[in-house]
Amino acid sequence: MATTTATITINSTDILSDELSLSTTATLTNAGGSTGLTDVSGLARKTVTGGHAQYTLFDGSDYTADKAHKLYLKNISTTASEFFLITVNAEDVGRLYAGDWALIPWSAHDNDCDIKIDPSANDMTLEYMLFIDE
Amino acid sequence: MATTTAAVTLTSDLLSDNISVSASSTLMKADTTADGLDMVDYGVIDIVTGDQFDLLDADNPSSSPIAGVMANKANKVYIANHATDETYYVTIMIDAQNVGRLYAGDWMFIPWGAEDANADIEITASTGTNKIEYALFHQGRTLDAS
Repeated sequence: MATTTATITINSTDILSDELSLSTTATLTNAGGSTGLTDVSGLARKTVTGGHAQYTLFDGSDYTADKAHKLYLKNISTTASEFFLITVNAEDVGRLYAGDWALIPWSAHDNDCDIKIDPSANDMTLEYMLFIDE
Repeated sequence: MATTTAAVTLTSDLLSDNISVSASSTLMKADTTADGLDMVDYGVIDIVTGDQFDLLDADNPSSSPIAGVMANKANKVYIANHATDETYYVTIMIDAQNVGRLYAGDWMFIPWGAEDANADIEITASTGTNKIEYALFHQGRTLDAS
């Protein structure tokens, strides 16, 4: 069985009077079980040359619904004002600004539950990887 | 300004070549590299099965301890499910749109646009009681006038 782990560490010495330091590690397993996820898209990059428009990154109909998929995203832009607007179906999740990353649980709840990206500028590049629960 | 860093490491032996991906970002306010997010709400709460709850309310200060966050900024949300029964999960939704399931032991870190008053982060437990740790890093919100 494959073992996939995801560790997050958040630190700040000055956002509170007391130092903030939290760390959590998750082993990515199948929905409702302890079997490690078996499929992965592989790490990939996509440069969107066309600029501001909505593009489908992952189509909900291509993945088993209501599972424990996990999506990693990173905006590799270095221009502070550049962001990708991330949406699920037609609902905005948020703006992934330059240098930001995200790890999103994705249920692929129905065929319309696509992951879509909308870059704020031309020639922006997104790094991404989907861990898939078959 | 405050300096807050969020780092992730992903490792896996799913492929013939091991996956080892790391990323770290300093949490900045929108459109700048000079001013970090300087406000945080951080807590732990038990989510019981049966109802859908607004964990983070986009614009309704009266109904949530964390509310009225500024829209379309670089807010970040961290949520971890500390349940230990592998069959337990919480469903995360934004404005009634199903985003994903956070199973026991899972965590998530997402940008949150809170683009309108309905864009709440909603949470529903599938079964049992799920201990949820959450943090919202943001750059300002409105408070209820008392």
